[in-house]
Amino acid sequence: MRGSTFLGGGGRRRDALILLAVVVLGLCVPSFLNRGLVFIAGMIWINAVFGLSFNLLFGLSGVLSFGQAMFFAAGAYATAVFTQQFALPFIPALLLSALVGALLAAVVGLVALRRSEGVYFAILTLAFAELVHLLIANTAVLGRNDGLAGLQRPALGLGGWRIDLAAGDNFYFFIVAMCALLILLIRWIVDTPFGRALQAVKQDPERAEFLGIPVRKHRLAIFTLAGATTATAGALVAPWAQIVTPELAHWANSTSPILYTLLGGSAYFWGPVLGAVVLSAVFYVTRTLVGMSDMVTGLLLLVVVVSLPGGILGLLTRLTRGEGKR
Amino acid sequence: MQAADIVTLLVNSLTWAMATFLVAAGLTLVFGTLHILNFSHGGFFMIGAYLAYSLANAIGGAPSIAMYLFGSLVAGVLVAVLGLVVDRLVLRRLAGVDDAYVLIATYALLLVCEGSTKLLWGLNYHSVQPPASLDGAWLLGNAVLPKLSLFIIGAGVIVFVALEYCLNQTRPGRLVKAIAADPWMARLLGVNVRLVYTATVALGFALAGLAGGLLVSNQTLSPTLASAFVIQAFGVIIIGGMGSIAGAFFGSILLGIIDAFGQWVLPGLPGLPFFLAMTLILLLRPQGLMGRRNH
Repeated sequence: MRGSTFLGGGGRRRDALILLAVVVLGLCVPSFLNRGLVFIAGMIWINAVFGLSFNLLFGLSGVLSFGQAMFFAAGAYATAVFTQQFALPFIPALLLSALVGALLAAVVGLVALRRSEGVYFAILTLAFAELVHLLIANTAVLGRNDGLAGLQRPALGLGGWRIDLAAGDNFYFFIVAMCALLILLIRWIVDTPFGRALQAVKQDPERAEFLGIPVRKHRLAIFTLAGATTATAGALVAPWAQIVTPELAHWANSTSPILYTLLGGSAYFWGPVLGAVVLSAVFYVTRTLVGMSDMVTGLLLLVVVVSLPGGILGLLTRLTRGEGKR
Repeated sequence: MQAADIVTLLVNSLTWAMATFLVAAGLTLVFGTLHILNFSHGGFFMIGAYLAYSLANAIGGAPSIAMYLFGSLVAGVLVAVLGLVVDRLVLRRLAGVDDAYVLIATYALLLVCEGSTKLLWGLNYHSVQPPASLDGAWLLGNAVLPKLSLFIIGAGVIVFVALEYCLNQTRPGRLVKAIAADPWMARLLGVNVRLVYTATVALGFALAGLAGGLLVSNQTLSPTLASAFVIQAFGVIIIGGMGSIAGAFFGSILLGIIDAFGQWVLPGLPGLPFFLAMTLILLLRPQGLMGRRNH
């Protein structure tokens, strides 16, 4: 029923071209739009990576996590602490944040993946994320409920020259570059034999096990990797929004990548990216009418799950191929 | 810690427990029968509470206890009607859909509930006065026993006993249990499974609405009510064993006591004992304390 391939029938070349087009489009954003919209564009890039990381678990490997916000928040807080309190340079702080996300994911995955599956795993990850949320909200060094505010955008020292990311739209361009790299990394993982083995695990874990695929190890590996990429996305948020709050770890934030992915189409690599763009547009358009964004998001998601399981990309594929109803 | 403190702590934790049980009862009933873990249950509980609030406002002043109970029943009936609509439009179409998608679909419903609550009642905090006869407290030595707390504890126990009686001693209740155990065989024996599913959904939603009405004076109303309560309810049905009414009842008492005494031991970390207990149970005994491992 939902058996279409994760790659959506496309190739490496096509995805490289799409990424190139998206990056070019992204780089043009500051020349056309005002500061407020550039901020939103930066958030869309970050959320796209957040969504793609989630879909490494859901679309690729068939694992539903309702707790991805804990890795996002871990990355954001780690960067805030490393750059402000330990005065580390930005790039090492970014790498360490990814490592923090990977470690947290490895620990959670080690316990959670061993013991549970399906809905139980989803609720267990939700509980873990709430534990992280509570710990952050009650730790003095992390600013408790107020979070850490007034974060400075850093400067980059690259060999001889120095780029001040606080100036102009520089940090936006940095986000575009980092997110493009992360998207490349995620696309590469999907294409490796490891990624293909995960697709087999998703289709039929028992058969995959018989074929010699170490199902549990592979799931733990992808959970850890997704934790690292999610934390890197979170790490970019800290200097971009210049504030981190415990809300980042709240389970409502865990549902964001789920919304992007399902709306765009979980069976397609670019699904979460499209979903992030569409949902941000919905939020922007409905921002003045309280409650409307929840309403529209909920109804869209319902329509997708109940009658349009392929999401927007699924619908587009069906329309362009001129196929009737399956 | 003195005896009076212990009594106060116990009353507080039992109030929390029964408030949570009132919400969890419908959640676990629907899960046990239809195998749908309904994220939106908290949303419909919240709508029930707001409906009771509007009703109380329409009447004005502090309601009598009979009016309070009547308001709760009306909220229950209205939410049950909403449940029938949701069953028709959404839940029926989820038969045979992967569990993950079911969870996400009911989360979408929760968003719709929150959105409509914000649109209809706004973001402001609201509160409803308890009936005059439930205002105030009794003193037992030095221990304070708020009357509203005792009312909620009583309501929880009555709902538990009534549900257990109906499910175990009456014919329709046994049908629900039979279908929960084996829908295929029940259908073979000529039971109208579809009808029983619909009735179960209506009853589950009615319980959510009733809980909203009964608890409306116990906390301030805001659109965050839904997610707070649905997570608590998830916690207790996981601890007790998903699908078991008795499990939810004793699970909520256990979690209430763990949470209250945990906060006494770790005062700086509210909520932590709750999530720790929930996580540990999920890891060590995923079928819950009173559940059987069957899915």
